[in-house]
Amino acid sequence: MVYEFRYLAPKSVGRLCAALTEHAGAAKLLAGGTDLLPNIRNGVFKPDYVIDLKLLPGAAKLQYSQVDGLIIGPAVTINDLLRQRSVRRLYPVLCDCAHQLASHQIRNRATVAGNVVNASPCSDMAPALLCLDAVAVIRSAAGQRQLPFSQFFTGVKKTALLPGEFLEKIIVPAASSNASGRYLKLKRIAGHDLGIVGVLCTLHQGRRRYAVSSAAPTPVLVDGFSAGDGPEDVERRVLAAVSPISDVRASQEYRRHMIAVYARQLLQEVR
Amino acid sequence: MRISLTVNGQRYTVDVAEHKTLLRCLREDLGLTGTKEGCGMGECGACTIIFNGRVVNACMILAVEANGATIETIEGEATGPGLSEIQTALERNNSAQCGFCTPGMVMSIKELLRDKPKPTIDEMKEAIEGNFCRCTGYVQIIEAILDLTGRSAEKGELKHV
Repeated sequence: MVYEFRYLAPKSVGRLCAALTEHAGAAKLLAGGTDLLPNIRNGVFKPDYVIDLKLLPGAAKLQYSQVDGLIIGPAVTINDLLRQRSVRRLYPVLCDCAHQLASHQIRNRATVAGNVVNASPCSDMAPALLCLDAVAVIRSAAGQRQLPFSQFFTGVKKTALLPGEFLEKIIVPAASSNASGRYLKLKRIAGHDLGIVGVLCTLHQGRRRYAVSSAAPTPVLVDGFSAGDGPEDVERRVLAAVSPISDVRASQEYRRHMIAVYARQLLQEVR
Repeated sequence: MRISLTVNGQRYTVDVAEHKTLLRCLREDLGLTGTKEGCGMGECGACTIIFNGRVVNACMILAVEANGATIETIEGEATGPGLSEIQTALERNNSAQCGFCTPGMVMSIKELLRDKPKPTIDEMKEAIEGNFCRCTGYVQIIEAILDLTGRSAEKGELKHV
């Protein structure tokens, strides 16, 4: 790496919080590194300290219980999710989104937590976490707080995390298990690519929801559908919630068009 | 920072700068230049290695993160005097032209066949989706995997483009 930084690997949450407090503003947290390290290489980030959280006790914990739901530690990789039988059985929507993220090598290294704290509008995990009512457990030296993901994303690459705070775990409620759904991600190629748009539709206990990626400054949750909504109603409501831009990957018009196409298609398919 | 790691069964202890990537450490400190640097940002897969049993991009891992890790690279692939089974299948199917992607491609195929000895063609494609090959168009590489999985008869069904 051309850019030089110090590497810290605290072995307790207390030490991690202390390091984050001490170096607030000058430190970046490292989990999978698949976003952080290219960004440092490209000069986007210039941290004095890179703090690895993979040595924290329980960082790679991935556990389901009927009481607590699915607990995803900050070092759980995308492929850890896909390889765990209980996740595949109980949270097929989470797996559908996970499976469409980046390439196999990156899925072996990239973490679920990293995909959401980066707060990219094209996050593939965010739509699933939004539709499944997932909660962020946020930790700092001052203590712990919980925040639903519907309030977590505040702008392009911006989250509700305050200086000194980190995402300690993600909880996907047990009540969201067995939600059905499908994620359609528009890409140039079948393999590794960022999404042009992504539309997730879930149906759980009669409640239909949509979440859209690459279509607004943050991933967007669209809720409040009724059973009688037809394709026109669904299209109108989803389009009203998004504000895509034109960029190097697609025009605003094309994005809006494809979001509508996918919203209608998913209304048919997710039954 | 001093780290210890096992690469292709051999244990190494090296002093590395904290900001050095594992890829640079393998190439510059351990002299294992079979693993290539293409894009340096996780797009091309030329730096694919097996890290604790899983394929990863060595350009996006710090050397210090590999402390205690077990790593496999292309240098550990052929254990006898000749090529390995995977290398032989790639050679027989003309699966390389310039060869820059091949070390990473071999690693991805190796992990695939360990995980899924009988992969579907879609699983084969998924296993190498993170390995760019700008010469072959991938069909020859899939044909090599068909050979490796006893399905040579299906090779004619793939479309060459």
